[in-house]
Amino acid sequence: MKSEKIDPLTCEEAVARLDDYIDRELSEEEMRRVRHHLETCAGCAGHFRLEEDVLQQVRDKMRRIAVPGDLMARIQKRLEGE
Amino acid sequence: MSTVDSALDIDRQPFESLFTPLLSSAYGAALRLVRTRPDAEDLVQEAALQAFRAYHTFQPGTNFKAWFFRILTNCFISRYRRNRKERDDLALDDIEDLYLYRRTVEAGIHGLDTSPVQTLLGKLDEEQIGEAMARLPADYRAVATLYFIEDFSYEQIAGVMGCPIGTVRSRLHRARKMLQRALWQVAVDQGLVSRLTAPEAS
Repeated sequence: MKSEKIDPLTCEEAVARLDDYIDRELSEEEMRRVRHHLETCAGCAGHFRLEEDVLQQVRDKMRRIAVPGDLMARIQKRLEGE
Repeated sequence: MSTVDSALDIDRQPFESLFTPLLSSAYGAALRLVRTRPDAEDLVQEAALQAFRAYHTFQPGTNFKAWFFRILTNCFISRYRRNRKERDDLALDDIEDLYLYRRTVEAGIHGLDTSPVQTLLGKLDEEQIGEAMARLPADYRAVATLYFIEDFSYEQIAGVMGCPIGTVRSRLHRARKMLQRALWQVAVDQGLVSRLTAPEAS
């Protein structure tokens, strides 16, 4: 199997890409470079895991919202008045 | 129902069929933007009304959700600008990486099978998370809300906010850090940190 040559990142360069990596907003090539760094650096891998964990927990809690049962009816009433 | 009423119903139907499935996420986003339930209900109603009035400008086949959220966000921003008594509690200075992790470790918070951060976040409820979001400046709160609640990509957020992707990227980066600091401040202010580090908590 052909192995692709990866231009390695320093820890500082990897951390600078943390948000974009977690959000999958990097190019394929950049994603590969970060992944490669995380496979070889336990410190950065732990750092990235912690950040992802915080984001996921916050996201889960932010989404637990019950919509008032009559809100749609109130909106429809206002639209009727238009 | 009169013929006139039926005609009006038919007029509202296309808008309502697109808007109704969005109600839950629109209300969720509004609640994170304005904090209280009555204000969130007002904001969603105002946005729905404005969207209905502007519905003739919506291009069928394009993304209705992004179109509606742009209106919702604009309603929020203009309301916020009208009502400057709301404070931007957090200064925009630099916040260190892993802020929440460092504070929880320094404070001596620990759990049985969880990291210090997980222990703290596990104790914060939805209201307290909302309180932390409310401490972010309005522009940062808007970006963070679209990111956390809606899973919009940076490009979609840029479209909703009407700003370049680079602005979204830098605001979101700072918003995440500000949110970690705000979560910590809420946990301190509400006595959660003291309870988690009290001798009987370990």
